[in-house]
Amino acid sequence: MSSSTDSPTLTTETTQLSPQPDTETAKPTKKITLKSSDNQIFEVEESVAMEFATVKSFFEDSPSTDTVPLPNVTAKPLSQVIEFCKEQIKFKANPDEAQKKKYNAEFVTEKSDKDLVDMIPVANYLEIKDLLDVLNQAVADRIENKSVEYVRSFFGIDNDFTAEEEAALRREHAWAYEGVDED
Amino acid sequence: MEGLMEDDEFKILPEGCVSSILSFTSPQDACKSSLVSTIFQSAADSDIVWERFLPVDYEDIVSKSNVRFKFSSKKELFLHLCNSLLIDGGRKSFRIEKSSGKKSFILSARDLQITWSNDPLYWHWASLPESRFSEVAVLRTVSWLEIAGKIKTQMLSPNTKYGAYLILKISERSYGLDSMPSEISVEGGNSQGSTTTAYLRLAREHARKQQMERLFYGNRMEMLKSRVVEGDGRVPSERDDGWLEIELGEFFEW
Repeated sequence: MSSSTDSPTLTTETTQLSPQPDTETAKPTKKITLKSSDNQIFEVEESVAMEFATVKSFFEDSPSTDTVPLPNVTAKPLSQVIEFCKEQIKFKANPDEAQKKKYNAEFVTEKSDKDLVDMIPVANYLEIKDLLDVLNQAVADRIENKSVEYVRSFFGIDNDFTAEEEAALRREHAWAYEGVDED
Repeated sequence: MEGLMEDDEFKILPEGCVSSILSFTSPQDACKSSLVSTIFQSAADSDIVWERFLPVDYEDIVSKSNVRFKFSSKKELFLHLCNSLLIDGGRKSFRIEKSSGKKSFILSARDLQITWSNDPLYWHWASLPESRFSEVAVLRTVSWLEIAGKIKTQMLSPNTKYGAYLILKISERSYGLDSMPSEISVEGGNSQGSTTTAYLRLAREHARKQQMERLFYGNRMEMLKSRVVEGDGRVPSERDDGWLEIELGEFFEW
């Protein structure tokens, strides 16, 4: 509380941090602007944007544009997809399979069910194969051996079968409904 | 407006994406998923999904069968292969395990190495209506019982724990087969092949016979038992198809 000796060291630290803006200009990288369907702007490095096959071909077709509209993609899953691709670029520069595996596993583990499901159509639309494989595996693991009702609520899907259709399907695959886990 | 978009986000998961997800699950999960919704149903029936569940070498296996069959989808083919299929000129039987998609094989007696099986004094070959194979080896009487089977591990599914079983029948008139335990073992490229023992007798007679043996020929049984390795003296269990099976051991295929 009263230690007056602490404050001088603090001030010296803040003065040291001041020339920070210079480092930004030292390494110029081309930025590409992505615009989500909910009108949010994302500035990403060109190398990251080129991970998105859809964006890459967009640029090949019209190289002069600087903003790529992504009409099928909302901001939240897009930001998560960008986060993933940024890391993958690092692994491309310094290949380390074990670290990459670890990162990919952690990336999906900390996401909610909804986050994972929302990212899949985005990764699919942007054609990011590595991410799609990671997401598909993660979702598959989460619905493994679960009941039909659990899978419906996992994906937020309503049952659109008639009672007759449902009964017929249950008969057809009767063996598959045995021994599922508790929800 | 915002709220509407939130809701729609979930519903636009396209069928192709659902197929991709399901191809990472198991045959059982995929079949079960048919009931989730109509989109899931057509996704779960797609070739993308079932191509992944079929063994990579399924075309090779199917070509080894004498039976030609038509199928309109990969799913239909998969379910067809869940029933036994005779391959290699009827010397082996192949089947896919329905819930996991793993491969299993049964070697016919002709595909096993049975010591002296060509000598009609000891063994004879017969055709039994209850056998999946055209011929079975029937034991008459023998002083040396040795049966071995070999299978190339690359024929098996990777990353899978396999069990090896001897499938047999014990006739009512048989005697002496179980006067001492038989040594059984499994050896593989990367498994040590520990040896244990089995009594070739019906499980339901095991307790009664053991009691009799202890009462009347305890010393003799101990003496015979000491000639083989120590083991758990397991007995065959009954299969759904009316045959008996003894588990010889397990191994892991990488």
